[in-house]
Amino acid sequence: MPIYAPSLPPRPEPGQGLPPALVIFRFDLRRVLRLKLGRFFGFVFLAILLILVAQLYVNHLMASKAALADIRKATEAFLPQGARFQAGLLNPFMITILWLQVALVGGGLVARDTLYRIRPLLYAHPVTPLDYLGAKALFAAGLPLAVMLPFILLPWGLSLAIAGLHGPVWPTAPLYLLPAAIAISALMGAVTLGASSLASSPKAGFGWALGILLGSSALGGVASGAFSDARWMALGLGTLSKAWPRLILGLQTEQGWIPVLLGTGFHLALWLTIAVRRTRPSEATI
Amino acid sequence: MLAFEELEVRYGPVVALRGVTLKLEPGIIGLLGPNGSGKSTLLKTLLGLLRPAGGRGEVLDVPLAGADAAQLRSRIGYMPEYDALIEDASAYEQVAFWGELSGLSARQARDRAHEVLYFVGLDESRYRNVSGYSTGMRQRVKLAQALVHSPELVFLDEPTNGLDPEGRTRMLDLVLKVRAELDTSVVLASHLLLDVERVADQLVILDKGEVKASGSMAGLRKMLSRRFELRFLDPLSAAQEAELGQLGTVLESRNGLYDLELADPDPVAAFRWAQARRATLVQLTPRHDRLDEVLIRALRPA
Repeated sequence: MPIYAPSLPPRPEPGQGLPPALVIFRFDLRRVLRLKLGRFFGFVFLAILLILVAQLYVNHLMASKAALADIRKATEAFLPQGARFQAGLLNPFMITILWLQVALVGGGLVARDTLYRIRPLLYAHPVTPLDYLGAKALFAAGLPLAVMLPFILLPWGLSLAIAGLHGPVWPTAPLYLLPAAIAISALMGAVTLGASSLASSPKAGFGWALGILLGSSALGGVASGAFSDARWMALGLGTLSKAWPRLILGLQTEQGWIPVLLGTGFHLALWLTIAVRRTRPSEATI
Repeated sequence: MLAFEELEVRYGPVVALRGVTLKLEPGIIGLLGPNGSGKSTLLKTLLGLLRPAGGRGEVLDVPLAGADAAQLRSRIGYMPEYDALIEDASAYEQVAFWGELSGLSARQARDRAHEVLYFVGLDESRYRNVSGYSTGMRQRVKLAQALVHSPELVFLDEPTNGLDPEGRTRMLDLVLKVRAELDTSVVLASHLLLDVERVADQLVILDKGEVKASGSMAGLRKMLSRRFELRFLDPLSAAQEAELGQLGTVLESRNGLYDLELADPDPVAAFRWAQARRATLVQLTPRHDRLDEVLIRALRPA
């Protein structure tokens, strides 16, 4: 038998809270932090980061110790320190793992609300579609950016600490890598939101995100084969996310600036439009 | 509190609400109607989720189509019909979340979540994930989230769905308590007529997007109930019985007692009819219809 309170205390004064978008973002973040999945990916990324730092330290030893001069000559081929090395801080392997994580975690961002039918209730509160999508986009793009930041800043800080301005990581590397990370995060966020808004459950959201990632790469491959032009590969999300650090660091890519910009713009516009359309208040079923 | 004038809501070419004109005072308002009658559309419109295609409407003196629609929602609570619960969160976490979304600070929302969950009878179980809750507990969490910010008006959509008789009684007691102690007006959408009859003091009957009847419960019964039992001093002749149809619809006749639905709302018409035929009317008793009879009559095609 439940115990009922005699009554409620007086009404608290409203209008003192955080903006709705931040409230939703914080709630989603707490939910994700509770997932075991987060710990698994945390371990994977930590392992990649440690390998990167170890590689960096070995690289420094090679450069600074005369006794290792012979080894340095032998390893120059696989431990270069130019733009290619800087671009490697956001290496394709890590980006691929990141896509998987974003698909797994972000696939449920909107789909979970669809499954539990939370959205109509959200819109029954002082929450606008912009608040809702803003919160989800902040999470979907903020997660990959938060993962990529240590990969940019930690080697950079370490390099400055152990070798000063002449260390293996350029002092200006974050100026190149941060915009690349933001572009990749925006792509991942948009695709995740679009995929998740198309799905009716988190699992389906993961499926959609993975399907879009693989499907776009396949489409890019087919188009580049059909037109015998590698620039069409810029339709693929994998290609785009690998191309951004290289382009910004001035390295050669098969696609070039304009296809990568067009491809990124196309994916951002397409998936964000889908997300906006699928999360309108009039779509909320009471 | 709620006022609409010729309100029209469309889904593309389909008219979901047509010419809805209503004026409702604070209290407990029962919203009745069959599936597809427009109840959900009306609720969506009241919450500002749908924009009216025509007409005007005001909720708590705020125009429906106005820019303040989002702010209006901080003064309204909504308990949906379906299970809109976040399964991997405790009742306390989610009620606090909804409180924050309604404009409370994090601290206020946490305090208020405890208070309101205690108010609806969820004490220690409020810390458990809702996935392990019974139907009754889930319904009370939904009610708690609708009340967490102490709204002036709360929409309850089928609040007794899936509850056993004891759970239904508790929920309806809570609805009465919300009105009596929190001074919150309630719009109760339900297909369970007995529930509406027990708690509502005003009633709106919707069908095919149109208001079939509205007003106070007592007034509505009186207005809709034209059903009377008639008895005459002497048995009516066959010709007189045949003419009884001019007075209204004879629903039943047994041992000289005629159960009639009068065509004229004024029962004096029955005396006039009897006088014109030199019959003496000795009994004219109004039938106290149950709400379901009132509803069926209101929804009957003209």
